[in-house]
Amino acid sequence: MAEPLVARSALRPHVAPHASAAGAHGVTLREVENLTLASVAALRGREAELVQAVRAAYGLDLPTGPARVASGKVAFVGAGPGKWLAVSSAPTEFSTLPAAVADQSDGRTVLRVSGPKARETLATLIQLDLHPRTFGPGDAAMTHAASIAVHLWQVDDAPTYEIATFRTFAATLWRWIVEAGQARGLDARAED
Amino acid sequence: MSQPNRLASGGLIDRTRPLAFTFDGRTYSGHPGDTLASALLANGVTLVGRSFKYHRPRGVLTAGSEEPNALVELRTGARREPNVKATVAELYAGLEASSQNRFPSLAFDLLAVNQLASPVFVAGFYYKTFMWPAKLWEKLYEPLIRRAAGLGRAAEAADPDPYEKTTAHCDVLVIGGGPAGLAAALAAGRTGARVILADEDFALGGRLIAERRELGGQSAARWADEAEAELANLPEVTVLRRTSVLGAYDGGVYGAVERVSDHLREPAPHQPRQRFWRIVAKRAVLAAGALERPIAFGGNDTPGVMFAGAVRAYLNRYGVAPGRRAVVYANNDDAARTVADLNAAGCELVAVVDARGDSPALHAAARTAGALLVFGGAVARAYGGQSVKGCEIVDARGGSFNVACDLVAVSGGWNPTIHLTTHLGGRPQWRDDLAAFAPGGTPPGMTVVGAAAGAFGLGEALAAGAQAGAEAANDCGFSGGTFDPPRADDDSGETRGLGPWRVPAKRGKAFVDFQNDVTVKDVELAAREGFRSVEHLKRYTTLGMATDQGKTANVLGLALMAEITGRSIPATGLTLTRPPFTPVALGALGGAHRAKEFKPTRLPPSHFWAEEQGAVFVETGLWMRAAYFPRAGETDWLETTIREVETVRTKVGVYDASTLGKIDVQGADAGAFLDHVYINTFSTMPIGKARYGLMLREDGIAMDDGTVARLGETHYYVTTSTAHAASVMRHLEYCRQWLFPHLDVHLSSITDQWAKYAIAGPRSRDVVAALADDGFDVSDAGLPYLGVKELTVCGGTRARLFRLSFSGEMAFELAVPARYGDALIRAIMAAGEPFGICPYGAEALSVMRIEKGHAAAAELNGQTTAADLGLGGMMSKKKDCIGKVLSQREGLADPARPRLVGFKPVDRSQRLRGGAHFVPRGAAVTAANDEGYMTSVAYSPSNGCWVGLGFLARGQERIGEIVRAVDPVRDGDVEVEVVAPVFVDPEGVRVRG
Amino acid sequence: MRIPCPYCGVRGLDEFAYLGDATLIRPDPAAPGAEAAFHDYVYLRDNPAGLHRELWQHASGCQSWLVVTRDTRTHAIGRVEVARDVAAARGSGAE
Repeated sequence: MAEPLVARSALRPHVAPHASAAGAHGVTLREVENLTLASVAALRGREAELVQAVRAAYGLDLPTGPARVASGKVAFVGAGPGKWLAVSSAPTEFSTLPAAVADQSDGRTVLRVSGPKARETLATLIQLDLHPRTFGPGDAAMTHAASIAVHLWQVDDAPTYEIATFRTFAATLWRWIVEAGQARGLDARAED
Repeated sequence: MSQPNRLASGGLIDRTRPLAFTFDGRTYSGHPGDTLASALLANGVTLVGRSFKYHRPRGVLTAGSEEPNALVELRTGARREPNVKATVAELYAGLEASSQNRFPSLAFDLLAVNQLASPVFVAGFYYKTFMWPAKLWEKLYEPLIRRAAGLGRAAEAADPDPYEKTTAHCDVLVIGGGPAGLAAALAAGRTGARVILADEDFALGGRLIAERRELGGQSAARWADEAEAELANLPEVTVLRRTSVLGAYDGGVYGAVERVSDHLREPAPHQPRQRFWRIVAKRAVLAAGALERPIAFGGNDTPGVMFAGAVRAYLNRYGVAPGRRAVVYANNDDAARTVADLNAAGCELVAVVDARGDSPALHAAARTAGALLVFGGAVARAYGGQSVKGCEIVDARGGSFNVACDLVAVSGGWNPTIHLTTHLGGRPQWRDDLAAFAPGGTPPGMTVVGAAAGAFGLGEALAAGAQAGAEAANDCGFSGGTFDPPRADDDSGETRGLGPWRVPAKRGKAFVDFQNDVTVKDVELAAREGFRSVEHLKRYTTLGMATDQGKTANVLGLALMAEITGRSIPATGLTLTRPPFTPVALGALGGAHRAKEFKPTRLPPSHFWAEEQGAVFVETGLWMRAAYFPRAGETDWLETTIREVETVRTKVGVYDASTLGKIDVQGADAGAFLDHVYINTFSTMPIGKARYGLMLREDGIAMDDGTVARLGETHYYVTTSTAHAASVMRHLEYCRQWLFPHLDVHLSSITDQWAKYAIAGPRSRDVVAALADDGFDVSDAGLPYLGVKELTVCGGTRARLFRLSFSGEMAFELAVPARYGDALIRAIMAAGEPFGICPYGAEALSVMRIEKGHAAAAELNGQTTAADLGLGGMMSKKKDCIGKVLSQREGLADPARPRLVGFKPVDRSQRLRGGAHFVPRGAAVTAANDEGYMTSVAYSPSNGCWVGLGFLARGQERIGEIVRAVDPVRDGDVEVEVVAPVFVDPEGVRVRG
Repeated sequence: MRIPCPYCGVRGLDEFAYLGDATLIRPDPAAPGAEAAFHDYVYLRDNPAGLHRELWQHASGCQSWLVVTRDTRTHAIGRVEVARDVAAARGSGAE
């Protein structure tokens, strides 16, 4: 029998370079690894059943709009009418939900961008208005970062954003955030 | 380093810090706060360039971004930038500038002989002179014209500096930081609204810092300083200096360029040279001011002829006297300030020529300055060649006399800067009370204030700005915060500059468009030759078509045409402006994403492993795919590819098939949905089976192909071609949401979720067996051809195994979650090593699919039907699908259409070419005899010759026939034999068993 | 141009993919004269100066197809509806 397969990130330093500016860091960039992700779509006529099941299993009310609700290690992020991205930082079996569920744990890479210059850095890639008056913790959006499809949500007021992108685009997105962050006190490296 | 024309005091420059710079190799000195133009003028340099067509000596006409004359090359080497306006180029230590469009030197320009030949160079000369013989155009005329005419030289090396693009959102965008704009920004900003104030200058204030004015009991410049300080302290206000708002777009979107580092020798590390701003504003206040316009008189382009408002800017803002002996020539009262300011600066006022009758303001100013006052007169001509030495003045009775001077300050009135109001189709309105065009319609959400709206008084500009700023903020839901504009000193009277537009010329050219060398005579000629519409005038004479887009020229040209043709100005017309307001570097439009970062690069799961193997990569759409894996001693791609193909056909090979689009389809109606979009039927396919599928566009043409596997009762797995993955997903969502909204079906892209490797070749089963965990039956009974199963591999990693083949060999597609993709390719190579496995790339894959006659992008080319592809039999007769109805129409069902067949060269040593067209043997190579075309070719190791696929009329009936494959572009003409489009294992034995 | 997506909010034109006339209804393939009806459906378009109901997809957002009412003269965006709701309400489609 062959050796067990080792999991690897889509990011390697030669395509997703690390950088650490001297002095205070305006923006930090990390990969959030080992997430369980799934796309969840409500089956026709069984929408209420899904809402009930999510409430029962995770104590969460599915958001009806582009928002993120979280409890413990599990979060649901609005992904379109009747669609959500389920996110968990612990192994979680979302496929038992009464819904069309597709595992995306490997389909997405999630980057965390944080710090006082995070908004300014992201503004070079993302055209959304991330001003605190219009976008805050719990808000989510699907958009593109200079043509790379992203699904992002704000976690806290640091501000911290988590940005899910398709895995095969992740190295490019990392490089582009690094490029934009270089002049803004960037700290980009692997999680400690 | 003396600055002979620097005034002893005054100006917003830092006299404590000298800045050395060079112009045409000579070193001069200026100060922080100077532009290159002000510094040159301070140093007594008035000749700064040569004109576009006639190589006339040119100086500085304006003090702003409308400058048509003083264009220079800035910097050297890779950072050399042509056509920089000296009037906006901010001085820095070590600045290097050179004049352009002169040969061999600025003062002695051989090409100035163009002036003597000027009858040849009149309007339309391109059309008239170079009409024929046409073949001379490329070799003779164009190089000649390019040397003689033209502007600066672009850098020859790649621009080393980064650029950045960014987006900003605001409640209120204020365009222009003059009095009206500052008032608007303060009024809006104090409410707490999010405000962006953008000004193209490096200092805020607009005319406030160019004039000697008082506001609220202090100098206007001081007031502007305080306003800027307050704005800087308002947390939701962003002030963007050095930022030109270039265009207004639908939905309250504005484009702007910030010159972040243009005022530095080179950008600081990681700082962009320029930043392009996409500004999304709920409301906008346009406070762009006004631009002065010329009067057309002889020699009005001589260095030393300058706009009267610009003269004040140099005196007051920069502490520079543009001349010491001045003549002021104007048709409005505003120029009275120029008279007063020149007098205050100690300059001699030789004469004040008022084109109107006697007017109190100019009269008083002239008297105070002790100047000769000529009312109802004109400056007929300025003379002096490389700098003004004097001018000829005509008085009201027609008498003329010459005066010596070194500066002629001209004002033909003011044009409101309305460009942004026209970008969405707003049509400016001529206002007789202003003798100028004022905004007609404006983009939704925009208010125009101050001089841009034709309100030239300082007090009214402040009041209107404050009101517009407050209203804009209120509209966005903000209230509170008050701003009472300060009291302004009195405005002079008449700023209306209605004519004369030109002075009947005795001698010398009278210029209308300085940058494109368009003269009054050119406009007259255009009128004579019938080019009287404004659009014709523009194109025939090139009026307004230079890099300044005619900011100083257009209204004058229009007025002249009106006068010549006896029409009113509004009846004569107006050319609308388009973005950008000022020229933009392409680098700024591109931003950070250029060269290799122009688009994202998608890296498939085996990428890092393939790099280690020394693979040669090929870009396929966004993907970086391994093209082939050369081994030591192999000399070219073909040798490597042949070896990879032969290994797959005799042993086993592995290919990263992860780039194919993968879509998870679930729902009670998933099968029914797929039946709608594919020509064949999937609702009845058993679970655990896969099948090839073809989808059509509604017009009956093939759209994409792929495989569909059924994983469960309500669960399918669809693959698309790599190239069409995104468009197929969009199409399927369109079908799901719009055409078949009642179906319970859900689509999820899982392309990136799975790493998928094709393991192909006679020994492929051995390799899979070595990877599969105990108990999984890899035999043909356990997983027959077109079977699908879930399993675990390598000790517990869940996987999907598909018995599918693109190569024509026995093959499996093994998929694992992408995080294991890197480990799996290594495991496959290790497991396959005893069987002689090799990795193969896109080249070998392409050879093998051609050998098997599988259609790919070259065949699914947007012109072919299922029947053309030989797949007509797949179309279900029992159901409808997208494209079925129109695929049966007469033209598409015609049996004479070209059909997919194979080709081999009759002389087996000959090479085939994709793109060759088929003609019958013995027939002429004409379009009438064209019978189809070759789509794909490859050297087939299995056949020992080149083979091709292509579409040939009635091809399926012509197997064995010989036709010509003609490729006129590459001198190809090869006789080919028509064969069945399968070159390997035609019975399809190998994929089974 | 900016389009208010009912789910995502107002977004720039670059996030949307255009298809065209939203008033066209896919003909019944089984009805007599289907080929002519499909020909018109696929090829014939009005080109109104003024309000136009048209299909857009929020391709870089929630993937929703939308029925957008746009003034072709000014690019002013009026009503924006979720296409699936519009289609379901009019009872189109095969089932």
